[in-house]
Formats: sequence, C-alpha cells, structure tokens
Amino acid sequence: MNRGTLEHVGAVIFVLVFFTSTVTPVSAQTATATLSGKITDTSGAALANTEVSVKNAVTGQVISAQTDRSGSYSIANLPPGDYEVSISANGFDTKESRVTLAAGATQLLSMSLAAALSLEDLGISSAQAQGNAKEQARLNKRSQMLKIHQELGLITVAPLAATVLTGIFAGGKATSTTDRTFHAALGSATAGLYFSSAYFAIFAPKIHGTKTEGNIKLHKALALIHGPGMILTPILGEMAFSQRSKGERVHGIAHYHGQVAIVTAGAYGLAILSVSLRSGPAKHDVHHALAIFGGHHSQQPMTLTDSRAQAELGASSADANGEKRP
Amino acid sequence: MKHRKATFRNLGLALVVLALPQLVHADTDWVLESSTLSYHVSHPLHQVDGVSHAAKGKGVCQNGQCNFLIAAPVKSFDSGDSNRDLHMLQVTRGAEFPMIVVRTQFAESEIASGTVHADLQVEFAGQTAQYKQIAFQLVTQGSAIKLSGTIPATLTDFKIPAPSLLAMAIKNDIPVRVEMSWTRSQPK
Repeated sequence: MNRGTLEHVGAVIFVLVFFTSTVTPVSAQTATATLSGKITDTSGAALANTEVSVKNAVTGQVISAQTDRSGSYSIANLPPGDYEVSISANGFDTKESRVTLAAGATQLLSMSLAAALSLEDLGISSAQAQGNAKEQARLNKRSQMLKIHQELGLITVAPLAATVLTGIFAGGKATSTTDRTFHAALGSATAGLYFSSAYFAIFAPKIHGTKTEGNIKLHKALALIHGPGMILTPILGEMAFSQRSKGERVHGIAHYHGQVAIVTAGAYGLAILSVSLRSGPAKHDVHHALAIFGGHHSQQPMTLTDSRAQAELGASSADANGEKRP
Repeated sequence: MKHRKATFRNLGLALVVLALPQLVHADTDWVLESSTLSYHVSHPLHQVDGVSHAAKGKGVCQNGQCNFLIAAPVKSFDSGDSNRDLHMLQVTRGAEFPMIVVRTQFAESEIASGTVHADLQVEFAGQTAQYKQIAFQLVTQGSAIKLSGTIPATLTDFKIPAPSLLAMAIKNDIPVRVEMSWTRSQPK
C-alpha cells in the first residue's frame, strides 16, 4: 500500500468520522415519542373506531388517530412535550387527559369510556325528539304572511290619517266637490291597503293546539271593531258623498259616516299599539322561580304551555316536573 | 378474649380500607326535580322573557367526573304572548328541531365548593354551540341542590336571524337564566 492510497483511506475515514459525529447529535435532537393504548367501555369491551386526538400544548398542533378492532391506537413521531388528549366515540362521553411525552419513549394511555346519557334516559322518545319539516314549513309560511300583514298594516296608517284629516274639509256646508273627491280617493286607497293587509292575517296558516294568549288577544279583539268599521265607513261615505253632490244635506244613516270613521281609525291605531307594547312574563313564572329558591311549596297550577309540553314528553314528565313542582 | 377483640378491630380496619376507594369513587346519579329556564330578548320597544318549566335532566358522576344531560322542548317556552312564541318557534326552527339539549361535564369535587365551572354543549335550532367554564352557583338544601347561573347565548351562536318588530331588530344577546333543583338518586 503506497502513501497516496493511505492518504485516501485516511480522508475517507475522516469524512465518515466527521459525518457520524455530526449526524448523531442531530438525530438525538429530533427523537420523537409514541403515544399508544387501548380504549374500552366500562365493561372492558374494546371500542373500535374511537377518535384519539392529541394537541401539543405549545404549538397547538393536533394529530388524530382511530382505534382498531381491538380498541388499540398508536400515534408515533410526536415531538416530546406536554399534550392534551381527547378521546371520543359515538354514544360515549368524551374523556380528556394530559400527558407528558419524553423523547424516544412510548407512553401508554388506556382509558375506559362511560356510555353517554341519551334523551331516552330522560324518558324522551326518538319520536318526540323528531323534527317535523311540514310543521316547520307551515310556521315559515305563517311568519312570512304575518310579516307582510304587519308591513301593509303600518303603511295603511299614512293614508288612514290623511283620510281622517281631509274628512274635516270634506264635511260641512262649505265643501267643494274636489275636497270630497280627494277625501274619497284617500279613503279608497286606505281600504285597499287595509283589506290587503287583512288578507295576509286571515289566510296565514293556523298552528293547531295553540291558544291565543297575551297582547295578540287584544289585537284580534280590536279587529272585530275596525274590520266591520272599514266596510261600513266607505258605504256610509258613498251615501254622504252622493247626498252632498245632489245638494242635499247629509241625512239618514249616512250622517254617522264621520263617527264610524273615527271609531274605526281609533280601534285600528290601538290594534297596532297593542302589539307594539310590552306584555311581560306571567306572574306565576316569578312565583315559581322564587319557590325553587325559597324551598316552599304552593298550589300554583301548571301553565297551559307547561301542560302542553308535559303531554308531549309523556306522563312520566308530569310526575317529575309537574305534580312535584313547588 | 383480648385476641378476639384485636381480630375484630383488624377486620373492621380492613373493611374500612377496602371500602374507602368505593366511597371516594362512588357513582352518584342526579335527577332534575324542577327547573326554570328563561331567555331574555331585548328590543328597543320590548324586554321579553320566555320561561319554561318543562326541562328534564339526569346526571351521572363516575370516578370524580360528572356528566349531565338536560333537555327542554322549544315550544315549552312561554313569553306571555302566543303570537310571539309561535314566531320564536319559527325563527329557531323549533318544529324541525323540537328539543334544546344541553350536555355538560365538570369535576365532581366542584359540587362541594359551591360553584361549578361547566363546559356546556348546547344543541338548539339545528346547531351546536360550546360554552366554556360557565359558572353556576350551588346551594344545598337537604337532599337537593339548587343550581343557578346564566348561559351567555347569542343568536349568532345558533345562526338564528334576528327577528324584527316595526323594522327594528332584537339584540344579538339572548342570555338564558338557569334555575334548577337536583336531587340524588340511587345508581342503577
């Protein structure tokens, strides 16, 4: 072996030694950890397809894995550090835990999951919890129609007020045909808007099993005044218009056109106010809340809404939340 | 005689030691006896409270961890106005999703502290919202525990479009006040 060959061999050895000495610390720095374990239910049976998520406490990086048929999981190549582990499976309560993974170590984390409480456990059947798309569609249509009713009803206020005001100039001895025609035109516009608004309220779908309660009761009652009034007022107005146009004095029932119009407009204004004012919670609610915290019992009856909800939830519900309620 | 006494004492001690873990980790079931849930809605012209007493609930505490489930029908909330309640039912898609379901977890040790900080998962209007560390006050009255607190719910949490009256929308915040009475029951 000549000197040149020896120099080559020496260089190769140097290179190998250099790389070995530099690479080794690097691989030591990136040594990772593994988290593994087995997930079971409380009876010890393996839970397959359970999701195991680990979140690095520093970086926030989340890595997930699923358990196999034997309930086992393994998450490799995790940087050492603190982790939040979350284990979740359908029908089971989610469990969370914290682990600290050491470099190069395999940490075992096995857990048992308790079955989650279900609505059936509360006595609520799946049929009771089931939605009804048809009923929702009725509710949607009802709300849509009542929104139009509300908007048209508000718009009606402007021509109604104008009709009442022009009525002052349309009546009496010194009125012109123009005044009366203008008043009649405004009245016609009011009636048109009013009956359009009424249409949307009358033909909005009814929701079965609902009892009218609260300010809406007054709103509906007032419609019994302004509804007929809105029919009668233009009829009487037409009669009065005709009599005045012939140069006659307004007589007979036409004489009541003004009074009927005032009552109608007043009832209409009140109807709008009735749904704009607050209707507070029923006294029994405050009473009930006080009773819970005061610990005393009263003979307070259930509300209609309560009874309806109880009926929906079944008889057992009434035992738990109805009869024994303070 | 002396020997016999010592044997009994040792036996008693052994029983206590054996029973201790069972006492510490004893499973406890809880049943909701009565409740008042009320949501609050703010409108420039109205302050509305819708109240329900129809919630049903159950809780299980195992190995120091408590899991509770509470459910109430959406249509059981009464605001004192049937028209408004029907409108609430419509905007919250109450016919499609008739139940409000709340699941919660907290450490059993918190029950004794007088305040629990619960993580809530609320299913409502076809959406699920999470509320972290909501504080509820607890007052023990005999065998019952009275719980009270407020869930800081908002319309956007459940993607509910804000209803309006006279062209004015309600506020996004709809805090839900919770007042409940729970009693312990024997685990199955």
